[in-house]
Amino acid sequence: MMESAPFNYRRLIIWFGRLVLGAIFIYAGIAKLTMPNTHLWPWFVLKFSVSTNLSMFQQQVESYKMLSPEMAGQLAHTLPFIEIFVGLMLFIGWRLKIWATLVTLIMLGFLGVVTRAYLLHMDINCGCFGTPEKLTGWTIVRDASISALALLMTYFVFTEARQPHPWAAAPEKTA
Amino acid sequence: MTRRPCFVSASLLTLLAFGSLLLAAPSTQKSQTGASAKKTAAHKESAAPTVSTTTISVDGVNDIDPAKAFGAKSATVVVEIFSDFQCPACRALFLNTTQKVMDNYVNTGKIYLVHRDFPLPMHAYSRVAASYARAAAHIGKCEPVEMALFQNQDKWEASGDVKGTVASVLSASEMKKVEAIVESKELEPLIEKDKAIGMTFPVSQTPTTVFHANGQTYPYAGSLNYDVLKDFLDQLIKK
Repeated sequence: MMESAPFNYRRLIIWFGRLVLGAIFIYAGIAKLTMPNTHLWPWFVLKFSVSTNLSMFQQQVESYKMLSPEMAGQLAHTLPFIEIFVGLMLFIGWRLKIWATLVTLIMLGFLGVVTRAYLLHMDINCGCFGTPEKLTGWTIVRDASISALALLMTYFVFTEARQPHPWAAAPEKTA
Repeated sequence: MTRRPCFVSASLLTLLAFGSLLLAAPSTQKSQTGASAKKTAAHKESAAPTVSTTTISVDGVNDIDPAKAFGAKSATVVVEIFSDFQCPACRALFLNTTQKVMDNYVNTGKIYLVHRDFPLPMHAYSRVAASYARAAAHIGKCEPVEMALFQNQDKWEASGDVKGTVASVLSASEMKKVEAIVESKELEPLIEKDKAIGMTFPVSQTPTTVFHANGQTYPYAGSLNYDVLKDFLDQLIKK
């Protein structure tokens, strides 16, 4: 008879992390593409909306004053798609070690950037999601919490990978 | 003996006359002040040109101040730009995009462009700048004043010298007229009306550009890139 995998706390955190981080990343990517300008039909209107939203995101990236306008443009036009892709891969769970590591690195990067801006008293929008949102201490707390979850999930993904698969055949007992 | 009563009555009469003169003096002075005030007011009235606060409607878009609108009223697309003179994104939109739109779409009759004021309370001088720009528009100097305000945004934002920035592109007589209009506050209701219209979309940030075409309304927040906007406008005009 087939049994379900044993559900220990490590697996619980991995599942929780995959669902929460996957949802956050997919939402963040879609929000950057579709907000605040949400006119999605017909096609030329959708194209204009996405372009305008990405331009706004580019300005937010530039406001951190860490990248040249060209680099900020490249980052702004690729990051939302990366977020959606990585979020989907977390949901799917294939090659989880790679995607969990990538999510953790991205989150630690975000945390570093917003902390720097906060310490420099920069009066800017965080650019986390589509709509303008002031960068405050709360932004750092939120990013730190998400980063902690990503770190923990990644750690458990690696430790669980070292364990034998729960559905693998048990080693035969010798008499 | 008869000289004394004569002298006394003469002295009394002199005193009376002197007293009445003294009493009358302040009222004369007062009336003189009143007259000079009337004269100053009359002078001011003559300095402040009569401004029209009448608004028009174009293609279903109401409450347009003709002094702040450009292009042919028969254009198929009406574009309203809600902006704040102190906002950097509005500056970018005006300098990088609006000027090209003016040249290629407004001056060619394809678009009717309406400039709406939406001064944000977080900006200390944007309301003053809006008042000066509106007054300048009513004497036919909209474009040079708006250009000067946006181009020198950093300077007057730091110094608060909106008036000096406006004066730098106007002649002394034009500036006198603009100042008189600003002081009269006659055009303030038009700025308030623009803000109220903005709130109906609602405008949550500046700049916000609202496109009206074929009975559809598309509000867009943020600065717009001309090349991307060009494709969009061409499609709107084509439809």
